Amino acid sequence: MARRSGWLRGWEGLLLGILILVVAFNVINARHYVGIQNLVNLFELHIEEIMVALTMTFLIINGEIDLTVGSMMGLAGCVMAALWEKGIPAPYGIAAALAVGILVGAFNGFMSTYMGLSSLIVTLAGLIGFRGLAFVLLEDRSVGNFPGWFDHLGQQPLVGPFPFAVLAFVVMLVVSIIILHYTGFGRYTYVIGNNKDVARYAGVNVRRVKMTLFVASGLVSAFAGLLLAARTGSMRGDTGTGTELAVITMVVFGGVSIFGGTGSMFGVLLSILITLNLRNGMGLLNISGDVQTGVLGLLLVVAVLVPTVGNALRDLFRRRQVSTHPRGAGEQKGGAS
Amino acid sequence: MPTGTSADPVLEMRHISKRFDTIQALDDVTLRLYPGEIHTLVGENGAGKSTLIKIMTGIYSPDEGEILLDGKPIRVHSSVDAQGYGIAAIYQEPMVFPDLNVAENVFITHGSRSIGVNWSRMVREAEAIMAKLDVSLDVRMQARGLTLAQQQTVEIAKAISLQVRVLIMDEPTASLSAHEVEQLFKLTRTLRDQGVSVLFISHRMEEIFEIADRVSVFRDGRWVSTRARSEVTAEGVIRDMVGSEIEEFFAKTRAARGDLLVSLRGLGRRGVFSGINVDVYRGEVLGFAGLVGSRRTDVGLALFGVAPADTGQIILDGKATRIQKPQDALRRGIAYMSEDRRGIGLSMPMSIATNITLPMLRNYVSRLGLVRVGAEDATAEQFRQRLSIRTPSVHEQVGRLSGGNQQKVMLSKWLNTRPRLLILDEPTRGIDVGAKAEVHHIMNELTSQGMAIIMVSSDMPEIMAMSDRILVMREGRQMAIFDRREATQEKVLAAAMGQHGGLKENA
Amino acid sequence: MATIRRYVRPEQLRVFSLVFLILAIFLFFGSQIQGYFSVRIFNRVTSDVAIVAVVAMGETLVLLTRNYDLTVGSIVGVTAFFVGKVVSAYHGLPPVAAFTLAIGTGALMGAVNGVVISYGRVPSLIATLGLLAVYRSILVGAPTDKIVVAHLLPPWVLNLAGASLFSIGGFYVTPLLVIALAVLVVFHLVTRYLRFGRRLYAIGSNPEAARTGGMPVDRTVFLAFVLSGALAGLGGIMFLVRYGDLTVGAAQGMELNVIAAAVVGGVGAFGGYGTMIGALLGAFMIDLLDLSLLRWLQISDFWVGAFLGALILLAVTVDSVIVTRLRDIWAKGELRAGTARESAAAGKEEDGGA
Repeated sequence: MARRSGWLRGWEGLLLGILILVVAFNVINARHYVGIQNLVNLFELHIEEIMVALTMTFLIINGEIDLTVGSMMGLAGCVMAALWEKGIPAPYGIAAALAVGILVGAFNGFMSTYMGLSSLIVTLAGLIGFRGLAFVLLEDRSVGNFPGWFDHLGQQPLVGPFPFAVLAFVVMLVVSIIILHYTGFGRYTYVIGNNKDVARYAGVNVRRVKMTLFVASGLVSAFAGLLLAARTGSMRGDTGTGTELAVITMVVFGGVSIFGGTGSMFGVLLSILITLNLRNGMGLLNISGDVQTGVLGLLLVVAVLVPTVGNALRDLFRRRQVSTHPRGAGEQKGGAS
Repeated sequence: MPTGTSADPVLEMRHISKRFDTIQALDDVTLRLYPGEIHTLVGENGAGKSTLIKIMTGIYSPDEGEILLDGKPIRVHSSVDAQGYGIAAIYQEPMVFPDLNVAENVFITHGSRSIGVNWSRMVREAEAIMAKLDVSLDVRMQARGLTLAQQQTVEIAKAISLQVRVLIMDEPTASLSAHEVEQLFKLTRTLRDQGVSVLFISHRMEEIFEIADRVSVFRDGRWVSTRARSEVTAEGVIRDMVGSEIEEFFAKTRAARGDLLVSLRGLGRRGVFSGINVDVYRGEVLGFAGLVGSRRTDVGLALFGVAPADTGQIILDGKATRIQKPQDALRRGIAYMSEDRRGIGLSMPMSIATNITLPMLRNYVSRLGLVRVGAEDATAEQFRQRLSIRTPSVHEQVGRLSGGNQQKVMLSKWLNTRPRLLILDEPTRGIDVGAKAEVHHIMNELTSQGMAIIMVSSDMPEIMAMSDRILVMREGRQMAIFDRREATQEKVLAAAMGQHGGLKENA
Repeated sequence: MATIRRYVRPEQLRVFSLVFLILAIFLFFGSQIQGYFSVRIFNRVTSDVAIVAVVAMGETLVLLTRNYDLTVGSIVGVTAFFVGKVVSAYHGLPPVAAFTLAIGTGALMGAVNGVVISYGRVPSLIATLGLLAVYRSILVGAPTDKIVVAHLLPPWVLNLAGASLFSIGGFYVTPLLVIALAVLVVFHLVTRYLRFGRRLYAIGSNPEAARTGGMPVDRTVFLAFVLSGALAGLGGIMFLVRYGDLTVGAAQGMELNVIAAAVVGGVGAFGGYGTMIGALLGAFMIDLLDLSLLRWLQISDFWVGAFLGALILLAVTVDSVIVTRLRDIWAKGELRAGTARESAAAGKEEDGGA
């Protein structure tokens, strides 16, 4: 679906404007803002979140949602950490963590697709449940001391100034754009989100598409969890809590409708850039993390509010025009239309 | 029997006009409704009936003209206003609250002053209304389990509770069984006898003649005629609806009947339909006739794998095949175009080209999985020309097209799957007369190229004119198969209503 | 049997099954764990449950309309903290005023929710997802020291937690429990006998019909959110009473427990059905089960989350698979009975008529 509706192009234009404003504001406040190192930092601090936002975009366009992403990041990291604690070499731990991601994704998909449950409630239960499992594994301990290469991969630059995570994100971003906008699978994603029945009648295997998306979400969340462990050098039961809010905010703010069927990866990319710059800017102003999240929450609400309020105002205006229409007995057909 | 033709009208719509962008939905329409009559309003889709109803119930306001209640002008700005004036409407899809019981359903939308709910009084009053309607429905029942017909009864009870004076019934019999239609008619007559003015919208000839006291015809947003039932004939009504004789519109070319394509033997789906036995040949149009509720669509859905059959056989290319999902059907060269454009036919926000290629997307995808947009556009252009789809470009959003053009896009979509058997479900419903003729012309082309077409249609003239053979269904059962030469509208209607008179086996 | 069908609704059946389950849990664990029926446990359970139940009942009002209120956790935290600070500074403030302040603050936040959702037409999931962060950030960002300290609170707050209004056979009935029961009674009446309450069900049951039928949908949903906020505010001051020492992270994540309680208590995934007593029983059952498993299996406290998640899933699956089917069978049974009556009546008519 390379064609985007006119409305969306308007939204993306707005986002671009906001991005420019935010960046300008930041640059004024901190002159070293425009430097490669700061740019990398910008991405690095939240790289795991924005990675998950990519798969979340697919899911929401498809008319579903995955609230387990934060818990999955925690669970996957804890799986690896717990195994590491027991002396199992990291590669096995990593493989196990990714496997868990796939399994959980499959579980979410199965419950939502084959059992006909609402993905909202299923992943809400998963949010609680998988976080609980993470705690079961690590209880209230914090596990660290990961192998050197692991920490190195997470914290040190790999190619030029870019760490592994940032490179991985760029690759994933490009792949996501291609899949969503230029492949048949991407098109199926849109159609199913717009109207499941139309897709079904056209012979699309709706279940397979949904399962694939849920599994992908689980896998990417697990991968992100591992990256988080590598970057911070430690893992706790509550790592990744609250990620869902940030991720959904970024996606919806990017112009993706929560009801599915519309939105684009480009909008989400702009939204990601705005979010990152905003957070960075707020951090430079010493605003605490919770308050930053609050600002993002406000942004989300306002973002969805504005078009509705705009429409309502426009309708009000139009209605006022109509009610001044001449009406009455014996009126001839000559009135203005 | 009409009681009020000499009395003053309850409601008068005078010189109503309404325009939407480029379409004049209503043009200087005047209609008078008297108490104690059943006034049938007839017209094709696009004739302006639903626009008029929406104006009467306050959803739209007229650009010009006025509404008079008991001779005095009124303004209806919302459904609450309409309620207050005693104007209520019942539609094909009744709006009940499944989780509430019947009594509550009747009273909950009242703009009542009281803060509290008196359950025992509510039940008592609901029962009283049911008695008044001479219907026995347990008002303590949850609305969820009600049949469509019973839900309509609840709607009518709701209207009575609001002291309705003008009750609009918009194609209420669409999804009812014959028995339920009878019940509804009985109810409607009871209402009429109690002085309610009923505006009954229908385009089904049988209904008009059975229930109407007076018949009005609209065409293209204009009032054409209003006559007492005794002065009305079927041909006259059709002539008024269409504007010219029937023959002109359905030009049917006789194609040579080709080989046997598919045979259905004892095909059925438990609880839905059963006993379908027919051979379908290439190059022919097999019309599926019947009153709504006859389950013709379900046979189509079974052939297409959306709601597969569980008994009987589908014999294709000499072998019995199982069709369990749409992909099975498509692979075997069977395509199904649904009657519901909005709901399941098209993806409105997506482009024409995207919609057309959707079922066959496999063929437009390169080895890497990327969509070959050029090939897609080429296909879309081909169909645009072939079917004369009026649009600035094939990238236009389908939702922006007119009904007729949307129908053509849907048709393109299924033609693109190169079917051997094309099932069309109400192919010309809701489109203007010109587009209708185009669709029929295309059908002729297709059959002359050897395609087999099953056409489900509730439009009797269309069935009569376009079909080579007519299969009549009633309440899920096959009643008769007529050959074109021996079929008359009477015979088909009789079979559709259960009276015998036609061949039952294969023709 | 037919009479039972006429007077008992499927969701009442759900509530009965919940009661039954709770009894079963009692009996089972009572036989397995020593000292199960002790005063201490009773008090602990009822105090915790009371808070969650009150907030869950408010949440149910919103869920009935097919909306979600994810802000309740933040509202509880904000009101608990805010009231805690106020009463710490003004020991002379009468308890009634403190309660009013809590409820009022909660209602105010609920009103903001309502405006954004009802009139701003923002989907409730998104709106409350964003607003929960906004409210929490107000708490975190406010210029105060980030804690409420128990020993700075006025004595009536501290006493209220442990006080017993009266005792039944050795088990004390705490004020918190009484508050929860009072809320239960009031809101049961609201949802059963007030037009406003019935409209909540209608809106969830068929939102389109509600609108075209001329119901004041926006106003009703707005009020539902105000009430949800108000009850969360009440929950907030109860939280303060129960815990005394608070940080700015107080009650973070509580919305999940609350929704879990409502879902287990039988509220429909798409609104339209659910009861106040279900919410309370749901809260009760979750806490009871959690506590019992803890003591019985001696599993670590950390299994709570996993278990809770599984429970929600189970409840929703059961609802969707079994209860829906049951409801259809129920309705069809009524249908058959109704049709039988219909045809009997018709038969009589034919005999007696022309």
